[in-house]
Amino acid sequence: MDPECARLLPALCAVLADPRQLVADDTCLEKLLDWFKTVMETECSLHLLQDHPCLMELLSHVLKPQDISPRVLSFVLRLVGIFAAQEDCFQYLQQGELLLGLFGETGALSWAAWNMPSVRSGWIQGLCSLAQHPSALHFLADSGAVDTIFALQGDPSLFVASAASQLLVHILALAMQGGASGSSISEAAAWPVCAQKIVNHVEESLHSKATPQVTQALNVLTTTFGRCHSPWTGALWGRLSPPVACLFERDPIPAVHSLMDLLLSVARSPVLNFAACGLWEMLAQTLSRLSPTQAGPLALGTLKLQHCPQELRTQAFGVLLQPLACILKATTQAPGPPGLLEGTAGSSLTVDALLSSKSAFVGLLCQTLAHLEELQMLPQCPCPWPQVPLLEATVTILRLCDGSANPSSSVGGRLCGTLGGCVRVQRAALDFLGTLSQGTSPLELVLEVFSVLLKTLESPESSPTVLKKTFQATLRWLQNSHKIPNCSDLSPDALLFLGELFPILQKRLCSPCWEVRDSALEFLTHLIRHWGGQADFKEALHSSEVPTLACQLLQDPESYVRASAVGAAGQLSSRGLQATPTSPENPQAQQGLLMDFMHILSTDSEGFPRRAVLRVFTEWLRDGHADVIRDTEWFVATVLQAVSRDLDWEVRMQGLELAQVFLIQAMGRSSLHCPYTVGLPEATSPSPHPEFLQTLCRLPLFEFAFCALLDCDRPVAQKACDLLLFLRDKTTSCSGPQEAGDSPNSASVEAVLQRWREGEQGQPLGDLEPEAMLAILRSLDLEGLQGKLAKSSDHMEKSPQSLLQDMLATVGILEENEADCY
Amino acid sequence: MPEIRVTPLGAGQDVGRSCILVSISGKNVMLDCGMHMGYNDDRRFPDFSYITQSGRLTDFLDCVIISHFHLDHCGALPYFSEMVGYDGPIYMTHPTQAICPILLEDYRKIAVDKKGEANFFTSQMIKDCMKKVVAVHLHQTVQVDDELEIKAYYAGHVLGAAMFQIKVGSESVVYTGDYNMTPDRHLGAAWIDKCRPNLLITESTYATTIRDSKRCRERDFLKKVHETVERGGKVLIPVFALGRAQELCILLETFWERMNLKVPIYFSTGLTEKANHYYKLFITWTNQKIRKTFVQRNMFEFKHIKAFDRAFADNPGPMVVFATPGMLHAGQSLQIFRKWAGNEKNMVIMPGYCVQGTVGHKILSGQRKLEMEGRQVLEVKMQVEYMSFSAHADAKGIMQLVGQAEPESVLLVHGEAKKMEFLRQKIEQEFRVSCYMPANGETVTLPTSPSIPVGISLGLLKREMVQGLLPEAKKPRLLHGTLIMKDSSFRLVSSEQALKELGLAEHQLRFTCRVHLQDTRKEQETALRVYSHLKNTLKDHCVQHLPDGSVTVESILIQAAAHSEDPGTKVLLVSWTYQDEELGSFLTALLKNGLPQAPS
Repeated sequence: MDPECARLLPALCAVLADPRQLVADDTCLEKLLDWFKTVMETECSLHLLQDHPCLMELLSHVLKPQDISPRVLSFVLRLVGIFAAQEDCFQYLQQGELLLGLFGETGALSWAAWNMPSVRSGWIQGLCSLAQHPSALHFLADSGAVDTIFALQGDPSLFVASAASQLLVHILALAMQGGASGSSISEAAAWPVCAQKIVNHVEESLHSKATPQVTQALNVLTTTFGRCHSPWTGALWGRLSPPVACLFERDPIPAVHSLMDLLLSVARSPVLNFAACGLWEMLAQTLSRLSPTQAGPLALGTLKLQHCPQELRTQAFGVLLQPLACILKATTQAPGPPGLLEGTAGSSLTVDALLSSKSAFVGLLCQTLAHLEELQMLPQCPCPWPQVPLLEATVTILRLCDGSANPSSSVGGRLCGTLGGCVRVQRAALDFLGTLSQGTSPLELVLEVFSVLLKTLESPESSPTVLKKTFQATLRWLQNSHKIPNCSDLSPDALLFLGELFPILQKRLCSPCWEVRDSALEFLTHLIRHWGGQADFKEALHSSEVPTLACQLLQDPESYVRASAVGAAGQLSSRGLQATPTSPENPQAQQGLLMDFMHILSTDSEGFPRRAVLRVFTEWLRDGHADVIRDTEWFVATVLQAVSRDLDWEVRMQGLELAQVFLIQAMGRSSLHCPYTVGLPEATSPSPHPEFLQTLCRLPLFEFAFCALLDCDRPVAQKACDLLLFLRDKTTSCSGPQEAGDSPNSASVEAVLQRWREGEQGQPLGDLEPEAMLAILRSLDLEGLQGKLAKSSDHMEKSPQSLLQDMLATVGILEENEADCY
Repeated sequence: MPEIRVTPLGAGQDVGRSCILVSISGKNVMLDCGMHMGYNDDRRFPDFSYITQSGRLTDFLDCVIISHFHLDHCGALPYFSEMVGYDGPIYMTHPTQAICPILLEDYRKIAVDKKGEANFFTSQMIKDCMKKVVAVHLHQTVQVDDELEIKAYYAGHVLGAAMFQIKVGSESVVYTGDYNMTPDRHLGAAWIDKCRPNLLITESTYATTIRDSKRCRERDFLKKVHETVERGGKVLIPVFALGRAQELCILLETFWERMNLKVPIYFSTGLTEKANHYYKLFITWTNQKIRKTFVQRNMFEFKHIKAFDRAFADNPGPMVVFATPGMLHAGQSLQIFRKWAGNEKNMVIMPGYCVQGTVGHKILSGQRKLEMEGRQVLEVKMQVEYMSFSAHADAKGIMQLVGQAEPESVLLVHGEAKKMEFLRQKIEQEFRVSCYMPANGETVTLPTSPSIPVGISLGLLKREMVQGLLPEAKKPRLLHGTLIMKDSSFRLVSSEQALKELGLAEHQLRFTCRVHLQDTRKEQETALRVYSHLKNTLKDHCVQHLPDGSVTVESILIQAAAHSEDPGTKVLLVSWTYQDEELGSFLTALLKNGLPQAPS
């Protein structure tokens, strides 16, 4: 333990033990426990207790009947647990009867504060920490604590109840870990006392008529099979699977969700022989007995299993497909290709049954669509995947939602009425539709998809969320609609679709909702990034007003939209797709966008657009955008000047990123011209490449980087440090054998830097010679600085000393500023 | 049995972060999604794994409602929607939707700045989260789905803060969020109508406090600032981007104007423009005075408050600077503090709460030697002041709101256990309603007896009125008709209309009873004797003797028949419809007593 902390500890313990003192908030006590845990990872708990008697005093203090606050009681229970996790310290505490006094029946259970959930929670967490060794097991068995834990499983606090279940599993695992071995594993009667007690309790609970008790037992088992993969779990399942199977014979089946979780947890266990233990039969039986809504998660879980019989997989997949099959059956007008589940053993589910409750039906559809979406992306995805009927069903659902379906039957009409305008289903169907783009679909169905997407994009009823999801699905379909492998060109149908899409996009760019304008711009940016280079795409784009509108949105009142517009306009310009096409005769229009961006960078009051501009600028610089390479130096100098005074540290950091790109490029160029860097021995290089370094001074890139090195925002300083290190390493090979301070100018620079360090920023470095810059670069301890900056800027405030000081300083003044918040 | 269940995941007997799960008749709503500023790890967010043990969050939760833009109420939202995976609707007021992302962004930048936290939500996530928001107007009833509706009421506290009524069928819950029952410089007082919810979930920050007038605190604040600048000192006021900062700005601006002061006031990070923009946009949410004077002069267009440049901090002479963040834990406010801390002429005023570990917390707890990075010790000689400007209802205000809404029961959140306990007793005594105060993770279950609204057909109502019985609102009335349940609505109609609507044929159901009489005469004579007896007894009823020998009284039919085995006994068959059940029973009883002796 740190000597300073050791010095502060007695005072803190005294404060904690004093009921008259108000202790700082719960977060302090939590952090204090974190600290003790860290200390005890490296130190012996027993020595710690013996070296700091104040700790033992605090722990024993709680045993005396006093009005100690529940939060301190809870803290002490947890602290004792942490100490007692080491067996020698456990023995020490037990000798002093402290453990029984706290965790026994005469301890915390008898306190008035026991009715506070935080105290019960502390009691459980304390036991959980100490239950690490055989002595702890004996203690738990003898003290009656296990019975209390059983009772706490039904605690009114969710947190306490859940922690109690977890603790039982922890104790069971600990007991079995050292208690049973070899042949005794299969003999439950030979299991350690503690384990037997827990298993008996679980078995009794499974026979209970009260659902909460059954649920508790199932939860304990689920966690056990999820966490413990030793052979004894096989014996456990062998013993408890009959009462679990009995639960299926009850009507209604109790605790369905927990039961399903248990079956899946058992099925995932690597140590059980499922064929022998009848698990597959149990799963099959459950799937057929449950309602579609209940069976959905189980079906998905079953399909995710590694070694599952094909028959069961088919059954599970059938459960998932049922609702969509029903819809398809009810809405198919003429006999066509086989739908979903046709020809398989009949399902009793009908649309009539589904429609009996609207909210249940909507819930089931959303769940089914989400499950299928998840399934399609998994390696365990069923094969063959019924792509065509699934796509048909999804398109039908979307048509039912937007009201464009033309139902011929009365059931179809009822479906229309139920799903019409249902945003929840629409959202889920659009997500799934996007995922379905990964499969191969016949052309007429792809056209059908495009048509429903257009309809949704066009509909005035579509909400901003629905539109966003439609844009996302559209993008995925466009990306996957090409037929030629390894070719990113758009298919002719996709191009036709684009022709219809752009006028709609145009409308959406003028939406009164910023969410819609923004999603439309994001979509446009993606489109250009993918297909901006294609002539057909360009033509379709230029036949619309989309590029002009995108540029107009640079003046949008909403900053998010302005930022997205910057991204879109930047992409347009990169691909030569800007509103007014540039020609060698008319460079002003293009230059106009650059100036617009510069204007945003220096005047926009919000950070997002300024950050977006820098992202675009960096990309332009990297890709050699025509306007940038026309006068790169001017460009970089202007950007750095604007950025250096920006109040948003992320803008300043991106400025450094841009500077770095420039450096790399300039060095590349300079190495081409510099005869000294390549091919010639270093000794013959008389000086750094003067032109390159002059440029850096002129820009002034050095000044910008030095200034950023002292930035009050850590990431900026970190980035500047990395940049200067890079520069120093690169220039070493170019530089001569000069030493720091050689240059006549460097002393003045050092003086300026010193002033900066003292806080007087804003003073320019002045005109500096490259030699002076290099000298400073070499004289700075950049590695040391990098190490310092790697630590979080609040590491001092976060330290244990700081915590202890704060807790002590707060004593007595809490009343003044009490209970204040926002 | 329908019920309301409430489980706080946060704000249950604490003020850390609000997140309350409410379930009303199977609809699940999450109220607020706050973050705890006191933690730097996962503990800062509520444990969302407790929301549902099975299934997806989006399927389980019907919606999320955010009461206002403070981070302890909305700070976990991008984490919840973009990282945990909730994809359903989020409701908040328009100003909250506008301001929320600014504060989230502010916090994100500090978190990433200070710790370089990689596992934190990004700007893009904040934006994507805000796109899921459905903004609501005050007093607008918003239909979340067919059964669930919500309505926002004005809460004061901060710009755009709202209380929400959540209604499923006839059951409703009101959640106050944070509110203020007294108007301040720029906001009005909270108000709700007498909506009589089944449950009122109210904050209880100042459960035991009667707060002094805010005017005194304001006067103190101005006096301290003025004195400092008068003696040439600099004043630093660390604030969060939006909220309390604007209130203090108005305060200083007005004071500077009145006193004709020339000392510069600066506001960092370009937030003045932003605040100006939002306050202009949402002027209807401010108080009456600001709205009234808006035409002549917009209170949020500050004459004396200028944008801050980093270089200004080194300028000589007095000045006042508002800088972010509010707890002096990073960035600009901390940088300025470090520059100015050594001069006793200067002053720092902390206008809000600071969490442990921050420099703000340290100096407020009286620490004057702060260890900074690199073993540097910063000696704080400048004056340190704390001014609470938080705008919560005090005990009186909470009682006032309970009285206003007239709930059937009350549940306290966002407060300390001890103080809640005091207020709980007070509410139970004064209003004679149950008051709950669950801890985090504890569920309160309230059984409700739902009243089911039933529409009545015009025909039936008219028939009632013809009978001279005018409906009275407060008097329960018995009405006969047929209840039709169709498309999840209930209607009471006349039986004829019900038959017509449902396309059913009418069947008449008659009750029958046999009465044995000792009478040796023929059946026709017995019937005649019955007729005479009834004619004499039932003077007000229409008693008829029909040609087929049977006797009728209203709908009641009586026929006499011979006993198959005993010729001295006659059997009277009495039958009646349910409408005449009373009369039928009476007649049967009467006949069972036998007939009067016939005159010989």
